[in-house]
Formats: sequence, structure tokens, C-alpha cells
Amino acid sequence: MSAPSPASAVQSALARDKLGTLSLLHFSLTAATPLTVIAGGVVVMFAVAGQIGIPLGYVIIAASLLLFSVGYTAMARHIANAGAMYAFVARGLGRIPGVAAAWVAATSYCALQVSLYGYLGYVAQGLFASIGLDLPWWAFALVAWLLVGLLGTRAVDINAKVLAVLLTVEVAVVLVFSVSNFANAADGVSFGAFSPTALSGEAAGAVLALAVIGFIGFESPTVYGEEARDRKRTVARATIATVLILAFIYIVSSWSIITAAGDDNVVAAATADFDLMFSLAGDQLGPVWETVGRILLLTSVTAAALSFHNTTARYLFALGREQVVFSWLGRTSVRTCAPVAASATQTVAGGLVIVLWAVLGLDPVVHLFYYLGTASGIGLIALILTCGIAVIVYFARDRRDESAWAARIAPVLAVLAMAGVMYLSVIHFHTLLGVEKGSLLPKLVPIVFAVLALLGAGWGLFLKRARPEVYAGIGHGAKAPLVQAAERAAVPVGAASER
Amino acid sequence: MPDAPTPRLVYDAFLITAYHDFYKPAVAPRVIGLALGAALLAELVFSGHLAVRPHEGKDFVLAEKRGGPPRDSLGLWLSELVQGEPASLAVPEWLEYLAISDTQTKTAEHMVVAGLMIRGEQRSRWLGKVQTTYDAADALIAQAPLARLRRYLSSMDRRMPLLDAFLLALTESVGLSKSLYSQMPSGAREYAEGHLRVLPAPLQAIRGHLTAAVADTAITGNL
Repeated sequence: MSAPSPASAVQSALARDKLGTLSLLHFSLTAATPLTVIAGGVVVMFAVAGQIGIPLGYVIIAASLLLFSVGYTAMARHIANAGAMYAFVARGLGRIPGVAAAWVAATSYCALQVSLYGYLGYVAQGLFASIGLDLPWWAFALVAWLLVGLLGTRAVDINAKVLAVLLTVEVAVVLVFSVSNFANAADGVSFGAFSPTALSGEAAGAVLALAVIGFIGFESPTVYGEEARDRKRTVARATIATVLILAFIYIVSSWSIITAAGDDNVVAAATADFDLMFSLAGDQLGPVWETVGRILLLTSVTAAALSFHNTTARYLFALGREQVVFSWLGRTSVRTCAPVAASATQTVAGGLVIVLWAVLGLDPVVHLFYYLGTASGIGLIALILTCGIAVIVYFARDRRDESAWAARIAPVLAVLAMAGVMYLSVIHFHTLLGVEKGSLLPKLVPIVFAVLALLGAGWGLFLKRARPEVYAGIGHGAKAPLVQAAERAAVPVGAASER
Repeated sequence: MPDAPTPRLVYDAFLITAYHDFYKPAVAPRVIGLALGAALLAELVFSGHLAVRPHEGKDFVLAEKRGGPPRDSLGLWLSELVQGEPASLAVPEWLEYLAISDTQTKTAEHMVVAGLMIRGEQRSRWLGKVQTTYDAADALIAQAPLARLRRYLSSMDRRMPLLDAFLLALTESVGLSKSLYSQMPSGAREYAEGHLRVLPAPLQAIRGHLTAAVADTAITGNL
């Protein structure tokens, strides 16, 4: 049985159906929502960090993620279920750390998605109040929650079409606003934002952690590895292009805001007005553009909520298929083949948080969007770091014909960079949350993730002893039943309990 | 394994996955293609025209030389395709190929000739586009495969034939477990599991790859 010839009729038909770099880029970019990151994140970063080094922060994170992507996409070529980072951990570091990573990942994605309802409620409340409809934030959040919940049970391709339209309009508006900012520079175009001194002190970790969140979604092209035209090149190109495109948008737009407000004034302006981006657009282009921007921000946050909803549902679905968590999470909708049980679970979690926050009278921006969003950022940085270590260990065992750059050098550099980001984020987490140094909350978040990881590892250990066939399928996602069946066939009846 | 003169398994798979009635929905179009592909492969394995053999961690589909060619056009089409390939392809590649080769229409046309389906035309209201539709010639016959599986599960008094056991596995793999097990007596799942566990290795491999392909569809949305 030799390798299939490319001249075969079946292979040719399959090749025509494969996805190219642009198609993969389309899917990964729809997972990103640049307007939410810039209007909701960048302006807040100026205010929280009290520094102008945000564009430099994006440069550092983009460089770190580019290094990470080299090893990540190289390993993706050799493993199944390459869309989920916990699968990399399971294959690189072992199944028990894999389950620990899966628990942290699922919780982080879930928290990040739920946090967006707070910002969404806040944005919608302001927008509708301006036309005389004065309702509490949670009412708007619940409407969006219902919409996302319904779309989440539809097939992924429908969601991708909705997200693609929103993304195109968003990027166009962000670029228009950025060009306008540069054209209306307060003190000429300054490069002060890229000076190393522009990003220092206790706020540096906060900026870097927030910058990482903006890139989440860059990892998604690996999901389509098996459908890619050239598994070796297409996925790597799409992943790296995603990081570069997002970096370009974030760096240019954050730099443009500094340019328009002035190096010395941008922090004060952002602190006084969280809607600085739209206020600048209103002053420069007219009130219509400001309104357009605000409306698009609402659709952008909704798109972000939908995008992260899909990501979380996919994670939970894969874990359900592996029976690492409740197996019913692996159920699909008969008509649409969407991961309906996982999607419904995420919807229930979101609904509970919105209701709880509303009942307790907590602030939607500070206590939901900011606290939960930044906390999930810590979990995601830890996940990327662990995944990077898994890549190093995986290729240390066998380089599998990958270059030294892809298998050794880039992964080591990426781990060093991400470890630095992780360290700064954790020790500066109080700045990120806007609370006093030494207070309980900043300590609580890393502890919660550590406990989750320990519980996950404990569960992995239990599966190893009690259910070896389930344990064998960890990290294989959709293909777990195949691995589990092979394990069952290999183990005589009754032998499992003797292990 | 005996010869299969008509593609009975693929007909049953069509009626279970593509035909919708009050009791059971049709599954997603891509999943129908995957399921029909799996049924066709399984049928040709069962009739001895194809074999599935593991090699270096992959399950390859191979043409079997013994006996004459399949007597039905669907089986003949696939077995000639397998024979025409310069190198053996794995089960997932065949499932993928059969899913994009409009196996649903090919099967429906085959069933029209067999008198099981009726071809019709439907003009869309807004675009005026004409679409070919396939309806069951007899609603009771259309419901028969699922009813037969449910009868086995409810009585649990006799051994299921091998092809029906595979059909049961296929029905589970495409996500129709609820239609299968709804209101079944306790022990039905264990009875089914007992049959599925002893499926021959080639059919187990096809079943496993079908399940994985359906799950992949749920994750990627076949984008």
C-alpha cells in the first residue's frame, strides 16, 4: 500500500474541495472582532495602564504569537484534533496535563464569552438611551444572549457568513477612523508610543495580557488542517497571516488614537471618555460617523459573543466526544449537525451569569466585562504557554522531519516570551483589575485556575485507572471513538478492571 | 459473505437519513452523504467486492478480485472507482469523496428505478428555479427500516442480522439515537451494544470513521 498518487480521480476531486489560505484566513479572522478590541479594549488600556505604549504592547505580543505559531502549526501537521490547544498538551506532555489544560481552556473561553454580555449590555444601553429607549443593561444583554444562543445551535457555516459580513464592515470603519485620526494629528505623527519607556512599570503586564485577548482566534486555522489544500503550508500561512493582519489593525488604530489625541493627552482623554474612539470620529468626520461607529460596535460585540460562543461550544463538544467531561456534551443537532448540547450548555452558563449580575446589581463593565474578561485572559495566556511547552517536548522526542527552526528554536523563544508575559500579567494583575496591590481578587484568579488544573489532572488520573479506553481517547476530539474502540478491542473483557 | 444483488443497505440508509416524517427528521445534507457512502462501502464489503484492511494506522479500502462485479449500478460505480485508483485510499478519504459526489441523488435515482421513490419537480416561488425532489412511493415502506430496527430493540428476543446491526450503528453515528431508542424498554441499549461490539473489523472501521467524520462536520461545519 503505497502513498496515494496525486493523479488519482478521487484525490483530484478531493483536492478541488480543499481549502486554500484565503478560505482559512476568512474563518480565523471572523473569530476576531477588531472594533470590540479597539473600542472596548484599547481605549480602556490607555485609561487603566496610564501609558501610551499600547502599540508597542501589540508589537511584542504579535512577535511572541508569531514565534508560537511556527511550532504550533508544525505540531498541528502531526496530530488529530489540532484545533484545540489541550490536544497539543495531551500529545506533548501527556493525557493528564491534557485534561488539566482542557478544564482551564473550557473555563477561560466560557468566561471570556460571558464577559462580553456585560460590555454588550453597556454599549446597547447607551445607544438606545440616545434614542429615548431607557432600559437596564441586562435587558439588552438578555436579548443578545437569546440571539447568540439561537445562532449557536445553527450550523457553523451560517454563523461564519454572519460574522464575515460584520467583520468586513468593521475593518472598513476602523481603517476610516484610523486614517482620519492620522489626518487630524494633534501634534504631528509621533513615534513615542513605540519607545521602550512607553511601556514600563506595573502596567506593562496589564497591557500585554489585554493585548493577548485581542488575538484569540488566531489558533483556529489548525481546526481545518485536514480540509486544507496543503496541510504543511496552508495552515501555517493562514495562522501567521491572521496574527499579522490583526497586529496591523491593532497597532495602526491604537497609534492613530494617540496621534489624534496627542502623546501627552491620550491617557487623560481615555480616562475621561471610554468612547474616545467615537468621540474623535464625531469631531473629525461628523456625528453620523460617530453613530455608525457606535452601532457597529454593538454588532461587533454581538459578533464577538457569537464567535466565542462557537469556540467554547466546539471545545465542550470535543471534550464530550472524548467523554472527558459529560458525554452528552458530544451530541449534535440532527438537522444541522451543530454541537447543540455544548452550545446550549454555554447558553445556560451565560444566562445564569447575566441574571446573577443583574440581581446583585453589579456593574456590567467593571465587574462583568473587565473582571471576567481579564481573568479569562490569564487562563488563556497560561494555556498558550503550556501549549508552547508541549510543542517543545513533542519535538524533543522526535523532530518528525520538521526544521530545527520550527521544532526547536521558535518554540523555545515563544515559551520564553509567553513566560515573560505570564509573569508580568500575574504580578501586575491588580493593575489590570484596577484594585490595590495585595488585595484578594488578583490572587484569587490564578488560584482558581490552578485549582481547576489540579481538579482536571485528578480527573485524568481517575480516567487512567477506572476507564482506560476513555483515557486512551484524550486529545483525539472527534476521532476519540476510533481510538477508544481500538483500545476496547485490545483489552480483553474484564481486563480493564485489573489495570 | 453472500452476494448482495440490490443495494438494500444503502436504500435503508437513505430512508433513515434523508427521508423525514413526523417521527424522524432528515439529517444534515453532508451527513446524509457520509452515511450513504458508509452504507455503500459496508454493502460492498459485505458482498465481498471490497475489503477494509488496516495498514500503518490507517484503514485502507481494497478491491477484492473474487466473484463477479456487483450487479447493481451503484455498487458497480464504487467498486470500479476503487479498482481504478492507482493506490489504495483510506476509509475517511472514500467517505469524504462519496459525500461530495452527490451520492444522495445517485441513490435516490436508483430507488426511483427500483420503484421505491418518485421523482418530482418543485419550482421555487421567488427565483423560479426548478428543483428535483424525491418522495417515497409508499410512506409505510419509507418508515420500514427504522421500524424494523426499533422492533428488534423492543423485543430483544432474537439476534439481529449483520446488515441490520450495521444499519443500527449507522443510525447512531448520524445522531439519530433519540429516534432509535425513544420509548424502548430498559436493556435495549445493552442489546444493541452487544450486536455492535461483535461487528466484523471492517464494518467496525467504517462505523468508527463515519462517527468521526460526523463529529468533524459538527466542529468545522464542513466549511
